[in-house]
Amino acid sequence: MTVALSTQPLSILAAGGEGGGLKFPPVENLVKWPAWFLEGTVFEFNKIAFINFVAFIVPVVLFFIVSRKPAAVPRGLQNLMESAIDFIDVQVIKPAIGPDGKRYLPMLLAMFFYIWIGNLFEIIPTAHMPANARIANPLILAIVALVMFIGVGVKHHKLGYFKEVLFPPGVPKALYILVTPIELLSTFIIRPFSLAVRLFANMLAGHILLVTFSVLCITLWGFQILNIVNLVAFPMLVAFTGFEFMVAFLQAFIFSLLTAVYIGGALHPQH
Amino acid sequence: MLFAAINLLAAEGGESAAVNPVFPDSAGELVWGAIFFFLTWILLRYVCLPPLLKAREDRELQVQSDYEAAAAAEAAAEQVRRDYETTISEARLQAARMVEEVRVTVDAERGRQVLAVEQEIAEQRQAAMAELDSARTAALGQIVGDVADLAAAAASKVVQAPVDAAAVRPAVDDVVQRTGGSK
Repeated sequence: MTVALSTQPLSILAAGGEGGGLKFPPVENLVKWPAWFLEGTVFEFNKIAFINFVAFIVPVVLFFIVSRKPAAVPRGLQNLMESAIDFIDVQVIKPAIGPDGKRYLPMLLAMFFYIWIGNLFEIIPTAHMPANARIANPLILAIVALVMFIGVGVKHHKLGYFKEVLFPPGVPKALYILVTPIELLSTFIIRPFSLAVRLFANMLAGHILLVTFSVLCITLWGFQILNIVNLVAFPMLVAFTGFEFMVAFLQAFIFSLLTAVYIGGALHPQH
Repeated sequence: MLFAAINLLAAEGGESAAVNPVFPDSAGELVWGAIFFFLTWILLRYVCLPPLLKAREDRELQVQSDYEAAAAAEAAAEQVRRDYETTISEARLQAARMVEEVRVTVDAERGRQVLAVEQEIAEQRQAAMAELDSARTAALGQIVGDVADLAAAAASKVVQAPVDAAAVRPAVDDVVQRTGGSK
């Protein structure tokens, strides 16, 4: 689909008719990817599934390499992977769950790497598509977080967990008419929803931003006079690429941290 | 430009109701996403992380053990240092005591020797004084005799008569006594 912008001054770009103008890729090309194989089945494999495969295989292989014969004094790759473990341990688990949170390290580490590597494909040349700009991955991970923190709460407090969450102690009984539905919604509906939407929306917005500036730069390249706009547009594209590199990490960290916070809240609902 | 792009997306959404940028149009992304995530989790949990976490735990234990050993060695070194300082201070005290004892002994010996020398000097001085007194007395007696003889001779010349020196002798003795002859 070819669309020429009608707003000034970009209408100039559309002056070329079919032969010129700003061509913005259709939305299908931005977020939807054709099947590579198993088309029409529930196992339809496309570019997103391939990115998910890479996000799975990279951390597993890296951790497997260093776990075969871990040295007493870590060096090189082992040092790097142990730094990742330390990062999740110190920055996510300890502040959000506390010393009891060690057992959730594998899940949070898997979650962090799975999201981060999936996000990094936003800026990897020739890929340029974050897996989490599709709702599937954020939805799955949010459901995992939901099941996990409810499971932890029930495991440690039995059904008293729901009582602690829905009927917070210290609140006047009359206010339970308001508080209980609010807690029910915020804890069991809005939490996973916000987790999924935050990740998905941030990555999709970043993806559209990069596509927009890329299309602008490519289009302006063909216009002698307007090419001067590339002096601004191209550095902006580079800057946004760096920004999205940071966002990729930040969103993975936020998702892992919030999941840990919810698990910590389920372990100690009275807090 | 971003707004323009969003407008374009919105316009496209209006044109084609079948395109939904949010929800996947096939279950494949959900299925593969779940499969790969749970595979990541399970493999990290049961295959990759246990040896690494055990190595980290062993390392922490080793570090803790080494730290405790270092603390023990430091305590032992401190004890050795304290023992050394105690020994040194005891040796210094003993040395000071010995020096004091020697000093007292030396002082006593010196006092004894000084006393002996002083006694010897006093005796020698007393003997010398006695000898001096004896010589002086003898000299004085000789002088008195000579003066008496001289005085008798002079008086003989004056009175033109012999004067006995023995008679003059008491007067000479008296003059000598008054003029300090005993000194």
